[in-house]
Amino acid sequence: MSITRRVFLRNSALAVVGTAAVPSFLARAAWGAAEPGTRTKRLVVIFQRGAADGLNIVVPYSEPQYYAMRPSINIPRKAVLDLDGFFGLHPSLAAFQPLWQQRQLAIVHAAGSPDPNRSHFDAQDFMESGTPGVKSTEDGWLNRSLHNLPQPLPKTAFQAIAMGPSIPRILSGVEPAIAMNNINDFSVGGRNPKPSPAATAFEAMYDHSSDTVLHGTGEETFDAVKMLKAADPSKYKPAPGADYPKGRFGDSMRQLAQLIKANLGVQVAFADIGGWDHHVNEGATEGQIANVLRDFSQSLAAFWTDLGDLGEDTVVVTMSEFGRTARENGNRGTDHGHANVMFVLGGPVKGGKVYGRWPGLDQSQLYEGRDLALTTDFRQVLGEGVARHLGNKNLSEVFPGYENQPGKFLRLLG
Amino acid sequence: MRVGRTKSVCVRSAVSLLCFGLACVVPQLLAKKKDKDKDEAASSAADQRRALHAMNRLTFGPRPGDVQQVMAMGVDQWIDLQLHPGKIDDSALDSRLEPLRTLRMSAKEIAEDFPDGQEINQVMNGKKAMPSDPARRAVYQVQLARLQERKDRKEENKEKEAVKNAITAAIAEKNNNESSAKASTTTAANAASDAVNVTAENPAANGAATDTNGAMNSAATNPATDSGATSNDNSMAAVLPTKATPEDQEQARRREEQLYTDLEVQQLPSLPPDQRFKKILGMSTAAQVALADSLRGGKGQEVLTGLAPKQKETLLAMNNPAGVVTNELAQAKLLRAIYSQRQFEEVMTDFWSNHFNVFVDKGLDRLMLTSYERDVIRPHALGKFEDLLVATAKSPAMLFYLDNWLSVGPDSAKALGIPAHPGPYGYGRRYPPRPNPGKRRDGLNENYGRELLELHTLSVNGGYSQRDVTEVAKVFTGWTIEKPAQGGSYKFDPSMHEPGPKFVLGRRIKFKGEGEGLEVLHRLATSPQTAHFISLKIAERFVSDDPPPALVDRMAKTFLKKKGDIREVLNTLFHSPEFWDDETYRAKVKTPLEFVASAVRATGAEVDDALPLTRQLNNMGMPLYGAQPPTGYSMKAETWVSSSALLNRMNFALALTSGKIKGVKVDATQLAGSTPPQSDSALTLSTLEANLVAGGVSKQTHDSIAAQIEAAAKNGAERKPDNKAASRKPDSAALPPDASTIAGLLLGSPEFQRR
Repeated sequence: MSITRRVFLRNSALAVVGTAAVPSFLARAAWGAAEPGTRTKRLVVIFQRGAADGLNIVVPYSEPQYYAMRPSINIPRKAVLDLDGFFGLHPSLAAFQPLWQQRQLAIVHAAGSPDPNRSHFDAQDFMESGTPGVKSTEDGWLNRSLHNLPQPLPKTAFQAIAMGPSIPRILSGVEPAIAMNNINDFSVGGRNPKPSPAATAFEAMYDHSSDTVLHGTGEETFDAVKMLKAADPSKYKPAPGADYPKGRFGDSMRQLAQLIKANLGVQVAFADIGGWDHHVNEGATEGQIANVLRDFSQSLAAFWTDLGDLGEDTVVVTMSEFGRTARENGNRGTDHGHANVMFVLGGPVKGGKVYGRWPGLDQSQLYEGRDLALTTDFRQVLGEGVARHLGNKNLSEVFPGYENQPGKFLRLLG
Repeated sequence: MRVGRTKSVCVRSAVSLLCFGLACVVPQLLAKKKDKDKDEAASSAADQRRALHAMNRLTFGPRPGDVQQVMAMGVDQWIDLQLHPGKIDDSALDSRLEPLRTLRMSAKEIAEDFPDGQEINQVMNGKKAMPSDPARRAVYQVQLARLQERKDRKEENKEKEAVKNAITAAIAEKNNNESSAKASTTTAANAASDAVNVTAENPAANGAATDTNGAMNSAATNPATDSGATSNDNSMAAVLPTKATPEDQEQARRREEQLYTDLEVQQLPSLPPDQRFKKILGMSTAAQVALADSLRGGKGQEVLTGLAPKQKETLLAMNNPAGVVTNELAQAKLLRAIYSQRQFEEVMTDFWSNHFNVFVDKGLDRLMLTSYERDVIRPHALGKFEDLLVATAKSPAMLFYLDNWLSVGPDSAKALGIPAHPGPYGYGRRYPPRPNPGKRRDGLNENYGRELLELHTLSVNGGYSQRDVTEVAKVFTGWTIEKPAQGGSYKFDPSMHEPGPKFVLGRRIKFKGEGEGLEVLHRLATSPQTAHFISLKIAERFVSDDPPPALVDRMAKTFLKKKGDIREVLNTLFHSPEFWDDETYRAKVKTPLEFVASAVRATGAEVDDALPLTRQLNNMGMPLYGAQPPTGYSMKAETWVSSSALLNRMNFALALTSGKIKGVKVDATQLAGSTPPQSDSALTLSTLEANLVAGGVSKQTHDSIAAQIEAAAKNGAERKPDNKAASRKPDSAALPPDASTIAGLLLGSPEFQRR
């Protein structure tokens, strides 16, 4: 029955696309992106760079210790948006509330990387390589997640995309991936339907170049430019109600939705949002963290609304390199800590629930006496997404050195 | 100075003649290669390659003729000269930087002339007097007016929000009460949604409406509840038609005023500069605000034409005080990279600024960064590492960026609430533990301690623990900033300093206040881990992304032996076989800054305004001084080779050579040589190759451009000139791709992305 419903949703989505935009439909067929019946499952990963303060994001408001340790930056009980009687959302995450109520949004608390490292750079690196503690890993887990898919979709230049000026660690590797800062700038010599003579010359140069670093990127780039021209994503305006906030992250999510709606074969995507490193004056219900959380949640909620039926096949996972100290520091801020909170949003998500074991905030329960302890390895959450959503069961290749058994999944995907 | 300029013009034209000569000769040389003395040619080619390689690494790329000059001087002599920048005359650059006045200001002066929100707030609250200087006053007035406007708007929004919330609650209440009667619920909902629609126009009336439904959670949150409306149990729609006419009148008056001030502003550019400036200073605040608004986003620049630098700065500061400072700083960085004769000093200044990164948009750092680069980084760029390290540790810019200025010892006098004893014996003793640690407001901040170990000295594998981080943080408590908002200066505050001994990296540090920090910095600066890490980073910048370990070891040895003398470490590097190895030649992919600067240098462009170039760097993901994390920017290829980046580079190259970058003049035709007939595109191509891409392009690149020229020529012969490249130049309409397009293709080629 669920298959019928999905096929129906899928067909109606196609019908809408088809009537509104015939050329893209043709382009899709020409590129051979998807045969009828096969569907592009998408995994979107969001990185909160700078170590977000998970305890002030999904607040354990029933823990007296929480208030004792954060006298000036706590989120008062009456201000949180209650989730389950124990946890509550920071009030700036109001945009998440409907997603939670519709059970499309799940939360995993006390999750993250088990590595004790508190360096932003290294910890981000570990979470992107998918191998905490191992520096020699050369590629990123999101890239590896596309290796040897059981039913590989035809490769397209857009199968793996990072919103930003460069390919992040998480997407580097043998699978072609592209970085895109701005859809409108993604061409050579202007946005004419026909390639400019300069573009032709550049393409020839890079195609035949013996420069191993530049050649590969050049080739992927020109494939993508051509595809993008054919699909013309500029005609996919945000859906009604998808109100992206102004700013870099909102722009990233808006453009990512455009690419997905233009049916370019996006399978894995990555975007990041900075501004979480609140050592000083973190704020509580208002202030620095409130502002960045508003940007974060409104962008994701708009993305979700914008995707419409395409959300059925989309899973969004958020992560941050580590959490922050359970106690506030001397400057009404927090220092580098350990475990954090992850959000999982999507069609197949069994939402409306906080997953993972809560370790508690008593002194004896804290990691190294100062931070939220870790009870869920981030690879357990991501592994479920890779195996059960993308369909790549070969998790020992995606997360080498981590025993990710299907039996141990949190089962937050339906 | 004039003599200097004339001389440089002479040199330049001589050089371009020489280049042109070379370019003409090269093909013939090739043809007659067999007849020539092979050895001689090979050795001269090797010399040229050596000179080019040195320039690729020690400068922001060669300008036309530079390689020949270096060859004439001798590569080793040239390197030695670059290692001693004091011996190089740089007055031409100085005169280019002359108009950028903030470069020479102290942080305190910057804070005064370019006030930020905090300063303006103080004036608003009467804590600070309005400046008397008329120009400065104008800047303050506009900021004050804008602040007031923002405050008003915030109040208004708060009211609206409260009303909206109240209405939502009211609807919920009503729905609950009437859930059995479906029809009436619908009516209520309709009425409520109408009510929501008009809240924007008439908050007071709707506030009254919610009051009548008794659904307010807290009267205090809604100022509208005091509006005195009488209770009414009927539908909320009842109050809808109410209109506040005095508000309308007020709006109309404002609109009229706006029209008048707009007109006044529009007429400004027609006045002669001095009169114009005087008039602006005398205008009403509303008109000044309108003028400032018209300058938003780099628009309305005509009003600046002909003004003196200081006057320009005043007008720009009226719109965005902080922007003036940061824009001048970024412009200076590009101008130095492009025009300084002390190229190596600029490269090293850039290297250390990046190593000791400070993010310009972190609060007050925008006041401090100018002095940071000028007084902290540049003087030590080729000096002793320890001096540089201590200078950064004491710089307000770093203290602010990594929060150390706020870090307070948990048992310090300040944390315990004991009045500061500034005398020499006042802070030395241990205090009893605090009675109520829960109420603590001041404490340790680990941010600087961690990055000092991880990023500035030992590196992340340098063998330190979390405990070391905490102890180092304690050591540096009290290293703070005196009056940061006014530009600030370093001070050691004993009352913030953690008493007692500390334990860092397995060694006990005796309690001695500020001296503890200096002791730790000395230990770090002389540690073998630091020597290795710094050597590795330098080698990554100058040799390759993955430099040979043996070379790094030798550099580290020099570092330790010569007590962190950076010049000596570089000497070891530049005299190593690894540096001159074939593998090293063109092994580095340029960063966006290196690419933009080298492209401008290669074309010999004249930059009148560097601001548009700095914006290009924003597009390429490398805003100057804009790296937020303390790691700074990566110097490795993988970061900078991506689809977006490549496209940006290609588009920049085409825009630059066709004169589409504002403020930058490129004469591609001259670069292509004026003597050969324009129609000979093949010759244009080979001339441009020789002039623009020192070291030449690959056969593939050459063939790709040649093929494009051929195709375009065919097209041009078949169809009349509607081809894009030709139509841009009406006088050469029938010709294939012009010199500027060819030049753009060359600067966008794979070879030009490397150095």
